[in-house]
Amino acid sequence: MWDLFTQGVANVFAPQILLLVTGGVAVGIVFGAVPGLTAVMAIALCLPMTYGLDPAAGLALLVALYVGATSGGLISAILLKIPGTPSSIATTFDGGPMMENGEGAKALGVGIVFSFIGTILSIAALMFIAPSLARVALSFGPHEYFAIAIFSLTLIATLSSGSMLKGIFSGVAGFAVSTVGIAPVDAIRRFTFGQVELNAGFSILTVLVGMFAIAEIIKVAERSATADRIGTSLMVKIKGFGFSMAEFLGQLPNAFRSSVIGISIGILPGIGAGTSNIVSYIVARSRSKTPEKFGKGTIEGVVASETANNAGIGGAMIPLLTLGIPGDAVTAILLGGLMIHGIQPGPMLFLTQGEFVYTIFAALILSAVMMLILEFWGLRVFIRLLAIPKHILLPIIVVLCAVGAFGLASRIFDIWTILGFGVLGYAFVKAGIPTAPFIIGFILGPMAETNFRRGLQLADGDATSFLTNPISGAFLALAAASVGWQIYRGLRPARTVETQPEGGGQP
Amino acid sequence: MSAIRTKDTAVGLAMLAAGLGYLYLTTGLPRRGAVDATFIPYVLAGGMILLGLLQAFVGWRRHDADAEEAPGVDDEAPSSDAPANYMTVVKTLVLFATFTALLRPLGFPVAAALYLFFQFIVLTPDGRTISYWRYAALAIIGAVITFVSFRYGFDLILPAGPLTPYLP
Repeated sequence: MWDLFTQGVANVFAPQILLLVTGGVAVGIVFGAVPGLTAVMAIALCLPMTYGLDPAAGLALLVALYVGATSGGLISAILLKIPGTPSSIATTFDGGPMMENGEGAKALGVGIVFSFIGTILSIAALMFIAPSLARVALSFGPHEYFAIAIFSLTLIATLSSGSMLKGIFSGVAGFAVSTVGIAPVDAIRRFTFGQVELNAGFSILTVLVGMFAIAEIIKVAERSATADRIGTSLMVKIKGFGFSMAEFLGQLPNAFRSSVIGISIGILPGIGAGTSNIVSYIVARSRSKTPEKFGKGTIEGVVASETANNAGIGGAMIPLLTLGIPGDAVTAILLGGLMIHGIQPGPMLFLTQGEFVYTIFAALILSAVMMLILEFWGLRVFIRLLAIPKHILLPIIVVLCAVGAFGLASRIFDIWTILGFGVLGYAFVKAGIPTAPFIIGFILGPMAETNFRRGLQLADGDATSFLTNPISGAFLALAAASVGWQIYRGLRPARTVETQPEGGGQP
Repeated sequence: MSAIRTKDTAVGLAMLAAGLGYLYLTTGLPRRGAVDATFIPYVLAGGMILLGLLQAFVGWRRHDADAEEAPGVDDEAPSSDAPANYMTVVKTLVLFATFTALLRPLGFPVAAALYLFFQFIVLTPDGRTISYWRYAALAIIGAVITFVSFRYGFDLILPAGPLTPYLP
């Protein structure tokens, strides 16, 4: 294995691959940073460029784009409170407030370094425990997936500390919006109103861009008469990555835990970094000694989100390389890239094309290093971008959002969709309804419904099969415990208030 | 009734209305058994209605002292103390809708340049001078760079409208 790895490292240090990886990471960062543009788009657009390259160079370019785009989302998530990609949603929770508190550079530095750590840890997992992990994931069927989706959906309540009712409603509404289009199993068209464009439902990207980017811009428009810069106090003088060694060391347990979450969720087909960053954030908050700081600008939240989403890279590559199963759109395109070059991923790949596999591993590591270098250098540039008056910067971002939406399927309909979801997102803000649960409901809803229907089919309509299956039963029990705990927590403060004497303060 | 109580009750009623609307749409779907394509929508509609009723009840029963609740990570209401300017919101939405509607007939470069120019003006803070020439130049440069980058750099064919015959 070590020989293969050194050979792989030697391969990626060929000038051509080095150049491709550098360029790929840079382009990927731009795609990740611009709301509406995604890793899928970057890889799909660059895939034809790999036709003329040898397999190692072509795949090195594609994984570099993947790494860059996954990490790039943190830039707009922190600086503009607009997640560039679904994998950066939770980064906005604390990255945005840190920016408003004048700690934007620190938040960026933390995000960059822990994105790097998440990527490296996930590559280590990919190299050392890939086959066994993939086998476990492959044994999961509809029952297990349904239970995991339900368990993840119950976490919505945890994310809704402002008002649990509104938070749960937001998640249910997101789930309801995901039912638009052709239904799973029996293929009935639901809520399409005869519009062909709605047959496939709404794209997650249009929902995300609308609910976050367009809604954010409408919010800014509401207050446009006063402030003219996005950051309240910019930190142009940055030392290193903007945070101390003590802070770095203090976050290592959080980073390790978030990596495990990111890798575990990344392995499971259909879930991915869009969910893992939020789950990781929730877990970090529940394990934190200072949970009250979450949502107000703590590096713990940024670490949890950014480590987990980048750890999903290695996680998603595990079933792709070991079993030939793509878990999401990005790995599906990567699979296409492999097959174009006559490479069939699967258990035999490690035996027959060992050097090629380890070249991909080395390319992933090099991409992570390049990401660290480019973003470290770019940190100063990103911060300076905020010196542009917001009445100039935000309309340009709106146009880029429209381009991103149009680029999904070359349809004007998708631009109307982001406008519609923008208005909905703004209405949520005005009503005090949190937006993140809506996105979780939208992402996990179809997974829950599809696997519920399939599970019932497999069990001849016996709904108890979800409870008797050990893994799904365990996850459903966890989900029930999670709901019970949230209800208990919701009732506890009310009781405390009721029992306190009038004027009685805290001890 | 205090403003916060009125708002919370109104939000609850809006949630209830959304649930009822979704339920009404669900009843129009064809049925094919107990667990079919309508099963999950019925469950969700029921959940939305229940949550709406609870929210309306909680809002109505709310004491003014409870109004100051702890903000969650998703409480995203604008924090500025400045008064809300809803006219700017309406203008922004109308501009974006107009840009979307004109994208095919005018083409991206023209529609985007017009949108950017007017949006720059609309979002210009009070007390700042509107520099029409500078805004026009920025709008045109921004639209052209975006169009050229995506069309020729990333092979994303944005609508060109009347410019189509003149493009390479």
